[in-house]
Amino acid sequence: MKIQLNTTINDLLVSVEIEQDARLLDVLRDNLGLLGTKEGCGVGECGACTVIINGKTANSCITLAASMEDCDIKTIEYLSKDGELHPMQESFIDNSALQCGFCTPGFVLSGISLLERNPKATTEEIKEGLSGNICRCTGYEQIIKAVEDVRDKKYNKDGASNE
Amino acid sequence: MGRIIGSKTPIDDALAKATGEAIYTGDMKLANMCYGKLILSTIAFGKVKSIDYSEALKIDGVIDVLTYKDFPSDKYNSALRFKDHGIIKSETVVSETVRFVGDRIGVVLAETLEIAEKALKTISVEYEEYTPILDEEEAAVSATNIHEGISNKVATIATGADADKVAELIKSADLIFEDKIKIPMVNQLSIETFSVIGDYRAKKLTIYATTQNTFAIRVLASDVYKMPLNKVVVIQPTLGGAFGGKLEAVTELVAAGASIKVKRPVKIVLSRKESMIASRTRNGATIEVKSGVNKDGTILATDFRILTNTGAYVGSAVNVIGAMSHKLLKAYKYPLRYTGSPVMTNTPIAGAMRGYGSPQAFIGMNLHINRIANELGMDPIEMTMKHLVDKNEVDLLTFGNPELKACVVRGQEMFAWDSKKKEIEEFNNKNKDFTRGIGFGIGAHGAGVYPAHQDCINLLLRLNEDGSFNYWSASHDMGNGSLTAQKMIISEIITTEVADIESTEVNTETCPWNLGDYASRGVFVEGEGALKLALAMKEAILDVAVLKHKVNKEALTLKDKHVYLGNKLLCNFSEIAMYAQKELQKEISVLIDHHSIAGRTSYGAHFAEVEIDKSSGSVKVLDYVAVHDSGTVINRMGIEGQLEGGIQMGLGYALSEKMTFDEKGYLLENNLKKYHLFNSTEMPKIRTDFIETGDNGGPFGAKSISECAVVPVAPTIINAVANAIGKHTTSIPISKEEVLNIINK
Repeated sequence: MKIQLNTTINDLLVSVEIEQDARLLDVLRDNLGLLGTKEGCGVGECGACTVIINGKTANSCITLAASMEDCDIKTIEYLSKDGELHPMQESFIDNSALQCGFCTPGFVLSGISLLERNPKATTEEIKEGLSGNICRCTGYEQIIKAVEDVRDKKYNKDGASNE
Repeated sequence: MGRIIGSKTPIDDALAKATGEAIYTGDMKLANMCYGKLILSTIAFGKVKSIDYSEALKIDGVIDVLTYKDFPSDKYNSALRFKDHGIIKSETVVSETVRFVGDRIGVVLAETLEIAEKALKTISVEYEEYTPILDEEEAAVSATNIHEGISNKVATIATGADADKVAELIKSADLIFEDKIKIPMVNQLSIETFSVIGDYRAKKLTIYATTQNTFAIRVLASDVYKMPLNKVVVIQPTLGGAFGGKLEAVTELVAAGASIKVKRPVKIVLSRKESMIASRTRNGATIEVKSGVNKDGTILATDFRILTNTGAYVGSAVNVIGAMSHKLLKAYKYPLRYTGSPVMTNTPIAGAMRGYGSPQAFIGMNLHINRIANELGMDPIEMTMKHLVDKNEVDLLTFGNPELKACVVRGQEMFAWDSKKKEIEEFNNKNKDFTRGIGFGIGAHGAGVYPAHQDCINLLLRLNEDGSFNYWSASHDMGNGSLTAQKMIISEIITTEVADIESTEVNTETCPWNLGDYASRGVFVEGEGALKLALAMKEAILDVAVLKHKVNKEALTLKDKHVYLGNKLLCNFSEIAMYAQKELQKEISVLIDHHSIAGRTSYGAHFAEVEIDKSSGSVKVLDYVAVHDSGTVINRMGIEGQLEGGIQMGLGYALSEKMTFDEKGYLLENNLKKYHLFNSTEMPKIRTDFIETGDNGGPFGAKSISECAVVPVAPTIINAVANAIGKHTTSIPISKEEVLNIINK
């Protein structure tokens, strides 16, 4: 059965006709063409489909789109929509914190989200904040370093973290 | 090092990936495209008696259901590397006889993926069932052949020291040690699953695929569908990881055949579960290793025997066993005999995975020597070092300049092995709840495929009117940064930046020919080709400068994208290109061919400290050191990332990843909840270093890293666990339950 979903995606009000049982991931990719959100496992384990819903990260592959009425959803496309990169994206590039790139949008969003919650996150807290995202290429070292660099440069110019 | 060689350079397509703008095969849509969903066997061994899809055809939006009657019955080998590659053909596009749970029976085509999925559920298949054979030891001696006319034990390859001599030496030794080790299959598990679009129109077939092997897919499609090679185009969009899993044809020929049938583009995207059961795996193995050892720790000889579980079709069976057959001989210098046989079973098809046989072989040897050292009361490093190849000691055609011993020495120092031994003893004496241990392992893997078969690439570089460059390399970058390394090499010579060189996706119609990307060819072979290409471009630029400025070529140099006569700036690259177009009426482009005439071996030595919770059996990796001889480092950031990624994969191999089957052949770990990949919290702090004396045959002395990175990891961890619990173990992966069992024995 089709229903109408009214919600905010990347600061735009959208009204889209969707199947009642559609996954948020499919609505983003197929209905709205937001292809930066990826499917890696379909069971909420790998985090490639990470989006930010009302300020918190969520796996869009196990989120019912119909439950997203009047929400504030942000995808990877939100970050550079005005042409400038988010510092987290710059840091991922500078640290080569990506190889195949398939998990990258999810990691970038998780990295931003964890620092917004905890701007002085320790390395252990950063690892914890990224633990819902799986990377098969990098072994995580360069990803953790990328998030640490943003912590130090953007949030803590005085160099003070919890460590 | 050079201006760029050895620097920390981000991967060339990082921007597209960080913004989510990179387009992978699964993101693509073509006009009038429809969707396919594979009908996969639900039994492990049998024959399809009937397929009832009448209900599916009634569903609005279903286009057709195709089965074995609709596809050619020509046999092929999905592991084909080049035309006339003489490997045993055992597969068909879809099959009437099914040989594992996940074998392809047919495909449902529909207007949307949802409709195809819905239709698939209505299809019922009736089978004539046979008893499946799931274990390689059982299959090797079974009277039932999984393929008519092909023995389950596909071949036997023996290399190394003479069998009689090895048997004699073992008999003459003070002590004899024997080990048997069983290793399960594991999955490459690139985060991007398998995707393909087949697009047949006007007698021309285009295949967009998640592949590491475009030109071989082109040959396979041309052979199976009887089309000229120039009417088949294979394109590799951005590839979301592969690790060998995407080397062989998996769904490419299904999408191609379906598109030929319905005259529309057909897209097939495998789910995670489908990708796990119906693509490729790393061979499982049974290893039996026997050595004769004197009391002073000298191994007189080793008899190493391995059966691999190669799954339900021949595929890479013999290739993996063949590649494995000489790797141990490139690391150990005493009489060692290797005998290996791939064995077919009714399990998912094994193929290529990072290391291509080396991880299994080095698990066997490292665990075996560790146990011997423990029983003789010797340090495992000391014992291993007595038997490793020396620098400049071995056959220079394929070995090059092994720095394995230097890796061990550097790693032992970085890890502080000797002082750690004492610290651990103190910790274990004081602590009742936890026990710690340290482990060590070595590994080797090749760089390039020569002399197994031809190893060559052609490359094309164009200078544009504004001084920028276009680069055509059919190097299948899968995120490993091979293209970045090639661009760094070119930049070093023609004095540009990496960003000045733009490369295309791999496209068999527009790129010069290349083999597939396997055997860690990206830097050693393709990078050396890029070096030749850059030198040819430099000459071409200087030739034009000579005509333009009426000067002697000998006095000309390139610097910062300009041509200089001594210290005098003559012109920039744009002026060169424009002069060539206007005055010489030509474009400045160079095409080179390169073939590798020497295989090279890369080496690594790894060290780990683990802590075991005695109440739960859980293993935590506390510290990790990896030192590699990859020759000269081209991209320091790239090589570190490759090595750290290899360690993540190896830690899973040792502690959590496995593909096991119930008695009917169903995969038990069939999703990412059950198949556990290491996440960021489980990773230890990793310290890496490189021995960079270099070698010849590759660019600037470089060899390879990508595959060798994973080889020493699993045995290093298992040896550390054995050290922590004070007992020998050969369980792979070693689970909490197994650790508890051993502790409580």
